[in-house]
Amino acid sequence: MAGFLKVLLRNVLEGPSTDPFPLGKTFTPERLRGRARVDPELCMGCGICRNSCTAGAINITPLDDGSGYTITIWQNSCCLCASCRHYCPTGAMSITNDWHSAHPEEEKFNRLERHTIKYEPCAGCGTLIRPVPASLARRLYAATPEIDPEKIRRLCPQCRRQEDASRNAGVISPTTTETVAARELTSAAPTTY
Amino acid sequence: MSLDKTLKKLSVRSPWLFRINAGSCNGCDVELATTACIPRYDVERFGCRYCGSPRHADVVLITGPLTTKVRDRVLRVWHEIPNPKITVAVGICPISGGVFREGYSIEGPIDRYLPVDVNVPGCPPRPQAILEGVVLARSIWLKKLGLEE
Ligand code: SF4
Ligand code: SF4
Ligand code: SF4
Repeated sequence: MAGFLKVLLRNVLEGPSTDPFPLGKTFTPERLRGRARVDPELCMGCGICRNSCTAGAINITPLDDGSGYTITIWQNSCCLCASCRHYCPTGAMSITNDWHSAHPEEEKFNRLERHTIKYEPCAGCGTLIRPVPASLARRLYAATPEIDPEKIRRLCPQCRRQEDASRNAGVISPTTTETVAARELTSAAPTTY
Repeated sequence: MSLDKTLKKLSVRSPWLFRINAGSCNGCDVELATTACIPRYDVERFGCRYCGSPRHADVVLITGPLTTKVRDRVLRVWHEIPNPKITVAVGICPISGGVFREGYSIEGPIDRYLPVDVNVPGCPPRPQAILEGVVLARSIWLKKLGLEE
């Protein structure tokens, strides 16, 4: 009897433990994994997220005219594993804590995170490329202050190599004039399948 | 309001839920049990309760990607539920096949076989999302009965 009264008193004082949702507010943990988002400023179209996606929810399709690509995440296939976020090299992929997922059947194929990202011409030769995101370029070239990240990030790999060679040409002097003997192979011949 | 509608409105009871496991990994079923049994979520606040027989159900919650083995049984049970019924696909499995899509024993997504009304994706969806889905299913159910615009 006393136990019952104790429980009653506690319930009267503390109120019910039921979450008022959906009639009232609910709590959302900061790190809850909900909808995946792509930052179109940072995405390079490298495809690592697509390859690591457990549920095959990500699609990357080049545009017909080759001027860019479209990245799509279908929320109705995403299993919220966050492996895309983990492997994305630029930090473009993020998992928000938006968990409101219930929807009527008519919206089934509308629940997409989709961005069409256009290539830009290389500052050197004009070939269409996706420039390295500024933040990533700053991080990549942090140890070499003589390279301007803002400039090099807009160069295609070929022009970047030429730029690198011309920069080094004045710095590195040849140490030897002898021709280097062919090196002996130590590994086995590659397997053919 | 017509007499017919008034009678209908008076006689309509809360939607009862029925759960079908179409080969799920049990993750979604645990969340469904959580929604029903844990006082914090308590789906019975909306008058919904899980019933043991498909013939008493109004809203059917399906989890799992519909495996070959279970397909015919799921369909048989689903057809036993009286109309108008609302089908809710819980988790990405029944909606798109999810992580099991294109598996050798997977017949889903479930809307190849059944008309689905509400989807609640997630792997598994959190209980609040399931509650949202049940509330949405309830309003569609009332619409089907002609009691809500
Ligand atoms: S989101 Fe990240 S991993 Fe995916 S294509 Fe873009 S840069 Fe690559
Ligand atoms: S969270 Fe997982 S399932 Fe979802 S898009 Fe990323 S890798 Fe794919
Ligand atoms: S959606 Fe995820 S948690 Fe739910 S049954 Fe499928 S695999 Fe399991």
